[in-house]
Amino acid sequence: MMTPETDAENRSFATDLPVVEVHKLSKSFGARTALDNVSFSLPEGAFLSIFGPNGAGKTTLLRVISTLERPSSGAVRVFDLDLKEQPEAIREHIGFVSHRSLLYPDLTAEENLEFTARLYGMSDPARCATHMLATVELTARRHDLVRSFSRGMTQRLAIARALICDPHLVFLDEPYSGLDPHAVEILDELLATIRQRRSFIMVSHDLQKGFELSTHVLMLAKGRKELFAERSELAFESFANQYHAAVGMEVA
Amino acid sequence: MNSTRPSTFTQYRTLLAKDIRREFRTREMLTAMGIYAVLMLVVFGAALATTVAAFDILQMSGGLIWALIVFTSLLGLTRSFSYEKEEGALEALLLAPLDRSVIFLSKASSNLLFLAVVELIALPLFYFFFLTGSGLAPTFWMTLGPLIVGTVGIAGIGTLLATITMGTRGKDVLLAVLFIPLIFPLLYACVCATTVALLGSEMIMDTYVPSMALAIGYDVVMILVSWLLYDFVVSV
Repeated sequence: MMTPETDAENRSFATDLPVVEVHKLSKSFGARTALDNVSFSLPEGAFLSIFGPNGAGKTTLLRVISTLERPSSGAVRVFDLDLKEQPEAIREHIGFVSHRSLLYPDLTAEENLEFTARLYGMSDPARCATHMLATVELTARRHDLVRSFSRGMTQRLAIARALICDPHLVFLDEPYSGLDPHAVEILDELLATIRQRRSFIMVSHDLQKGFELSTHVLMLAKGRKELFAERSELAFESFANQYHAAVGMEVA
Repeated sequence: MNSTRPSTFTQYRTLLAKDIRREFRTREMLTAMGIYAVLMLVVFGAALATTVAAFDILQMSGGLIWALIVFTSLLGLTRSFSYEKEEGALEALLLAPLDRSVIFLSKASSNLLFLAVVELIALPLFYFFFLTGSGLAPTFWMTLGPLIVGTVGIAGIGTLLATITMGTRGKDVLLAVLFIPLIFPLLYACVCATTVALLGSEMIMDTYVPSMALAIGYDVVMILVSWLLYDFVVSV
């Protein structure tokens, strides 16, 4: 019999099946509705940028799809696996980068990555850590505590942590938040190099950057879907106008 | 680089090793608990200074030892999740493909280990300050039973409650308010067993055995409940 885990392993990640399928998803916290009847489908290899004002439900949507929150109603399938039934199988194939690093500040860069590699059952955790440190250009700081890192270095290490399990779907929750221009450049280069074979869902407040990076855009307001479209169908100006209209602001 | 789903034991060992490595590097919990335990001994010394001559301190030692352990463990438990929350590392654990009860088992184990280390320092000091010259009973070694069972229970139940309270504003107070009533049956049983073991009367087994049975039974039930509830608790 095929277990959910082997099922996920044997699943081809280059099929025509959507990587994420969200159907009439709602999420409430007590009386407050954070997501209201949201539906969309994302193909393999897509880069979805989610936009919306504060409190629109962007981060909640990211947390639900990444299995951190349970949906109140509706259905979510990731890699054709049901989110409610097989969350552990989904977790094997996702990476998450937040505006927080999700790292241990009192462990070194190498220890953090080795720890994550062991949790995911990588065959050679030390080699994985070395490889990822080289990818994010932190080899020279491998023995330093994360607490001593700058914001940009910490964010690079956070990306290395998220990618160490070779995920097929990467969640980016405001990854540019608090970065200086040089760190933004480095992160841009890094994202460009890791885009192959992967799908991304990013929450961003930066309209220009989020739009440039995306293949698909989703706009939320008050927990509702205002727009879901392929980026190729949209011009940035008209998209920005729609965004500002949705959030009740005028374009400057 | 290939990956295969690691065994539950491998994940448990990885999480535990991380907690131990971090603690022995920062000594955050051990130092706080150790200093607090020593300060409590000083307070006990002051409180008993005038009564010692008239009162058999052995009668009170069981209670004092457990007051020392309970309040010291409270200090450690409130800190046991603070670094998991600092940069959101707990979310990374929740995103990893592991059974969430493994997080409970590893965290309870590390709390147990750190509390045991502090007890190894504080209890000999307690003996040195208060029990030298008291003429210990030959059943003194039997205090090990309630100490082990009580410490295991405190670490297990305390880990669940520390998880519940870690995201709340008044977590220190809330943890104490939930923790002490919930461990009361265990605490009562351990105080009784420790006291009779220190006193060593002929009827020791009449109190020691039922107290230990209550403590062990309470540990098993509460740790099992904590283990089963953990997935729900840590996800909320």
